[in-house]
Amino acid sequence: MNEKPELLASRVDDGLVFERASATPIAKPRKSDGRQAPRVSAQSVVAALSLAEQQRWLQTVITHPESVEAGAALAGELTEHVISPGAMTSAVEGLDVYHHAYRARLIECLVDDYPALHYALGAEAFAALAGSYIARHPSRSPNLNAFGSHMESFCRAHEDPQAGFWADLARLEWTLVEILHAEDAPPLAAEQLARAPTAAWAGARLLPSHTLRVCRFEHPVNAFFQAFKNDETPPLPAPAPIALAVYRQGFTLWRMVLTPAMADLLEDLVRGATLGDALGAMERRIQDPAALSEVARDVMAWFSSWVQGGFFRGVEITDWST
Amino acid sequence: MKRFDLPQLGIGVGLRTTHYRDILQGKPAVDWFEVLSENYMQTRGRPLAILDQVAERYPVVLHGVSMSIGSTDPLDRGYLGELKALRDRIGARWVSDHICWTGAHGKNTHDLLPLPLTEEALRHTARRVREVQDFLGAPLVLENVSSYASFAASTMTEWEFVAALAREADCGLLLDVNNVYVSARNHGFNPEDYLRALPMDRVVQFHVAGHSDLGTHVIDTHVGPVPDPVWGLLQAARALGAQAPVLLEWDASIPPLAVVHAEALRAEAFLREGERMAS
Repeated sequence: MNEKPELLASRVDDGLVFERASATPIAKPRKSDGRQAPRVSAQSVVAALSLAEQQRWLQTVITHPESVEAGAALAGELTEHVISPGAMTSAVEGLDVYHHAYRARLIECLVDDYPALHYALGAEAFAALAGSYIARHPSRSPNLNAFGSHMESFCRAHEDPQAGFWADLARLEWTLVEILHAEDAPPLAAEQLARAPTAAWAGARLLPSHTLRVCRFEHPVNAFFQAFKNDETPPLPAPAPIALAVYRQGFTLWRMVLTPAMADLLEDLVRGATLGDALGAMERRIQDPAALSEVARDVMAWFSSWVQGGFFRGVEITDWST
Repeated sequence: MKRFDLPQLGIGVGLRTTHYRDILQGKPAVDWFEVLSENYMQTRGRPLAILDQVAERYPVVLHGVSMSIGSTDPLDRGYLGELKALRDRIGARWVSDHICWTGAHGKNTHDLLPLPLTEEALRHTARRVREVQDFLGAPLVLENVSSYASFAASTMTEWEFVAALAREADCGLLLDVNNVYVSARNHGFNPEDYLRALPMDRVVQFHVAGHSDLGTHVIDTHVGPVPDPVWGLLQAARALGAQAPVLLEWDASIPPLAVVHAEALRAEAFLREGERMAS
């Protein structure tokens, strides 16, 4: 019942952490008509623009979803009045470098965080989705670690038959990013649990690791993701609910498939239920005596694998004398 | 001045994830590593743990891309606090960023955007550099950026702006000779005019890198070996009195660390040749 955890491909070399540098992504050069825009006397035309106004203008232009020209129309000053031509390029051509780099840099970040979603959609559709995402959720942080955090809800809001699958896949991939950056803590050792008197267990609370997430999905994203990681070409799957424990041990990311009973129990424990309450709730949920008997037989094995997986960082026992 | 008495670290390379294993297992004889600050902020996971190990073995310097020192948005105190904590955690020899702004009105474009070269921008930026230095309790080292557009409102050259900023804010300079080359090509100025105007005793560090020449303009892609004209500008800056560690940036199609390091070490030969020619 307790499937062996699937080891994720090592993240050591695949750049899960988007690497930022001061380099500029290269743009396809715009076809020039060979004409240079005339140099405009700055003092006469834009002397009234403050530093803040010039920054607002440039940012509006280079972050416009469509083009420099559309951005300049929105920003409200003629490009040639704000920007000087370069040695061999027009002002618009110079701005094109920034306009391209803005989107390219952020799309690259999203591809890095969502490689399987990128595969599922295809490069062109992903770029379109990412473009809309960038317009809806521009970065407001000094770094890009959290830039992709809205992708699940963004996908779910799409009116597309596959939107639910995209959202589930995005959730799985974002969970991996989250736990990669989460703070580690020494895991609860089996010996610590063993020291607790048996009578105290019912009132004990297990403290979940910061690098554990219990996730439920409406689509079989785990199998899809694994096939993608194996360089296979998985087809888009039909809905089929699954539950996963996604967790990190050391620097290795793992996924463990959970049965519904395991997921219910683990969710209760992660929410802070005592062992007694969580096990009692599980018993009430399982009406079939045969199924309950099977679960009762397996539950110690579940706990063993969860403790071995470092799912918990401690145990709170209120009364050791019990 | 003499570079604020900061250490001469030698020839370094930028720390990149693709080289983590080579660095930690192979322990290559690289003099020092430059670390992209933001990659190790807002994370408590693997990247930080790797950086701790690198910093135990090598001198490291923090190089940021999001201080946005020229922005009209307020300075981000949370960012500065985290930067200072990271510096102290890894014992970074100094902290650098860029003479630019990266966003305004709460947004971050994650690009190094040019400033209008005006008295207003100069005063504004110098005041903020002084604030950051007070907060860090150390000189801030600022890099000249490459640019593809310039503001029509500018009233001075970039080298006049950079030199005035360094003096008014009493900060250090990270002289990126590749950026000088790229901007010189894009805007049509003589790169040696640029170098001659700089206060070389404030140059704390050099950057060298490759670029992509598109004919009509040049893009600062940090790809490939360093072209000879860029090495030539490094020699020229040295001849003008800048004595500073050299750092190679290679950020696209990154080869194995040994290749990157070998390219960085070419700096020694170019600097020796420059000194021989000067004498």
